[in-house]
Amino acid sequence: MIKNINISGYAGILSYVQALNIYRVGSNIAMGSSRMFLKFSIEGKIGVLGLICIVMLSVFAPVITNYPPQKIAGNSLEAPSSAHVLGTDELGMDIWSQICYGARMSLTVGLAVAFISGLGGGAIGILAGYIGGIVDQVLMRIIDVTMALPSFPLLIVISAFLGPSILNVILILVLFSWAKPARIARSQTLAIKENNYIIAAKNYGANPFYILRRHILPEIMPVLFVLIIGISSHAIIAEAGLAFLGLGDPTSKSWGMMLNSATSFRSIYFTPYWQWWLLPPLFMLIFLLLCLAFISRDMEKVLDPKLKIKKGF
Amino acid sequence: MIIMAKDRNSLVFRLVITLFVILVINFFLPRMMPGDPFSTTSADEVGEEIIVMTEEQRLYYMEYYGLDKPVHEQFLIYLKNLMKCDLGKSIHYKMPVSNVIILHIPWTILIVLGSTLISTITGVILGTYSAQNRKRGSDRIMMTGMIAFAEVPSFLLGLILLLIFSVHLRLFPLAGAITPFAHYNGLAEQILDILYHAFLPVMTLSLAQLTGVYLLTRNTLITVTTKDYVRTARAKGLGEKTVWIRHALRNALLPVVTRVGFMIGIMMGGVVLVESVFSYPGIGVTLRSAVISRDYPLIQGILLVIAVSILVCNLLVDKIYSKLDPRVAV
Repeated sequence: MIKNINISGYAGILSYVQALNIYRVGSNIAMGSSRMFLKFSIEGKIGVLGLICIVMLSVFAPVITNYPPQKIAGNSLEAPSSAHVLGTDELGMDIWSQICYGARMSLTVGLAVAFISGLGGGAIGILAGYIGGIVDQVLMRIIDVTMALPSFPLLIVISAFLGPSILNVILILVLFSWAKPARIARSQTLAIKENNYIIAAKNYGANPFYILRRHILPEIMPVLFVLIIGISSHAIIAEAGLAFLGLGDPTSKSWGMMLNSATSFRSIYFTPYWQWWLLPPLFMLIFLLLCLAFISRDMEKVLDPKLKIKKGF
Repeated sequence: MIIMAKDRNSLVFRLVITLFVILVINFFLPRMMPGDPFSTTSADEVGEEIIVMTEEQRLYYMEYYGLDKPVHEQFLIYLKNLMKCDLGKSIHYKMPVSNVIILHIPWTILIVLGSTLISTITGVILGTYSAQNRKRGSDRIMMTGMIAFAEVPSFLLGLILLLIFSVHLRLFPLAGAITPFAHYNGLAEQILDILYHAFLPVMTLSLAQLTGVYLLTRNTLITVTTKDYVRTARAKGLGEKTVWIRHALRNALLPVVTRVGFMIGIMMGGVVLVESVFSYPGIGVTLRSAVISRDYPLIQGILLVIAVSILVCNLLVDKIYSKLDPRVAV
C-alpha cells in the first residue's frame, strides 16, 4: 500500500485513516467528537475552550461592546478606562469593539478558505485519483506547479492587483491552498482503490459514485479534517500578514489591519499608545493560532495512536 | 519532503514549467492592476482620477517605457531583455531595476543566510541534546516550548521581539540596517553596526525556523538510533560520542539538508513581512513600496528574483542530497 504514496511522510496520515474506522463520517459525529475531546491533552482542551471563547466574542460582538467598531466614540488615543475597556485608537474608535468584530474577520477568512480549499481540493484529488490516466497526469502537473510557486510574494502582488476586499483575499488564499489536500486525497484514493473489497464491489456492479461515497470518502474525510485545521491557521496568518502590509480590506477592522494602523502611526514606539493599541490584536492573533495548533496536534494524536510511539512522545 | 528517485527525472522539467508560469504571472499581473504609474487614483470616489501630468506628458512617458505597444509584443521584449539580464527601468526610482535590486538584496541575503546558519546549527545541537535526553524533563519542556514557538508566525514574533528589546528595554534599534549619517572609524566598527541592526531580524527568522530543524533532527535521530548499524557500532565497543556523531547524527542529517533548502525558500517569502516589522531595507520592503507606488518593472523584477532563488534552492537541495545519499542516485 505504501508504494502508492507519493511522499513517504504521508504514510503516517495513512496509518491513522485505518485507525479511524470507528469515526465513520455520517455516523455519530457528535459522539465521535465528544469522545475525542475527552482524549485530548490539557493543551488540547485549552485550545478547544479558547477557540469557543473567540467564536463567542465574534458572534456576540454587538452585545458585549458598547460602540460599533468604526464609530468615533471618544477622544483620540484614550488610555483604557471604564468607558473604553481597551482605550481608543488614533481616530477615537473603541479598541475592544475592534477586537470583537475583528475576530469575525479572522474566523471567516480561516473557515472559508479552509473549507473551500480543503473540500474542493479533496474532491478534485479524489476524482483524479479515481479516474486516473491523463486527467490525473495533468492534475499532478498543475499541483506540482502550484506548490512550487512562492505563495506569499505572489499573494502580495495578486491582492494588490485584485484590489483589497475580503472576498478577494479568500479567493486568492483558496487558489494557493487547494493543492495540498488535493495531493493527499489523490494518493489516498490511489491506495484505497487497489484494495480487494473495492475490486469486489466493482465486480458486483457497484457504480463509481457508490464506491466513492460508501468506501473512499469515509476513509479520506478524517485526513481532510486535520488538513482543514492546518489550512485555516495558514489562511488566518496570511490574511493578517496581508492586512499588516496594508493590503487588507480597508473598510473592515481585522486584527491584521489594527496592527497595520498601529505600526504605521508615526513614532508609536516612543509613546505609551502601543500598550493598548498594538498589544491586544497581537495577543489575540497569537492566542487564536496557538488554540488551533493545539487542537490539530491533539487530533492527530488521537486519530493515530501509532504516531505517539513513532514521534517518541 | 524527500525527493524520490523516479521523481527526479522530471524535476528540472517541473522547475522550468514553474519558472515559465511565474514569468507569465509576473508579466501579465502588474499590467492588469487598476491604475497606472502616471496617475494617482483617488480613494474617495471610484473612477475619479487625479492626473498629475497632462495627457501629452502621459503619452510621452507611456512611449518612453514601452507601455504603448501591444501586450504580446511587450511580453516578447520582456523575455528578450531577461536573457540579457535587463529587468527594465524602475519607474519610481528612475534607475534600472537590477540596480535597485542589487542595492537592496544584500540586506535580505544577510538576514536570510544569517538566520539559516543560526537556526540550523542551534536546531541540530538542541535536537541532538533532546534525542539523547529523550523522555526526561528537559526534553519534554523543550518540545512543548518549541512547538508553541513554531505556531507563532514570524512577523508576530518579530513584533514581540521589537516591543521587548527595542521599545521596552531600548537595547536594539527600532528600524533600519545602519545608523544614519554615521561616521565609522574603521571596518570593524561598521561591521559591528550592521550586526547590531541585523540582530533582531535575524533572531526573528531564526526562531521561526528553529523548530522545524529541531524536531526533524530529534525525530530522525530517535528513528536512526533504533537501526541495526547503531546497535552494531555500540556492540563493537565504540564510545557513546562516536556512536552519536559518526553513526547516528551523520545519517540523521540527510533530511535536515533537504529541510534547510526548503527553509531558505520559505524565508524568502516570509522575509517581506519581517523586513516590514523592522523597516529593514531589503527587497521585501522594496516590494511593498513598489506595490503601493505601482512600479511594474520593479515588482516584476523582485518577484522574479525571489522565485528564481527559491527554484535554485530546490535544485541545489536535490543535487546535494543525491551526493550525500548515494542510495537516491540510482
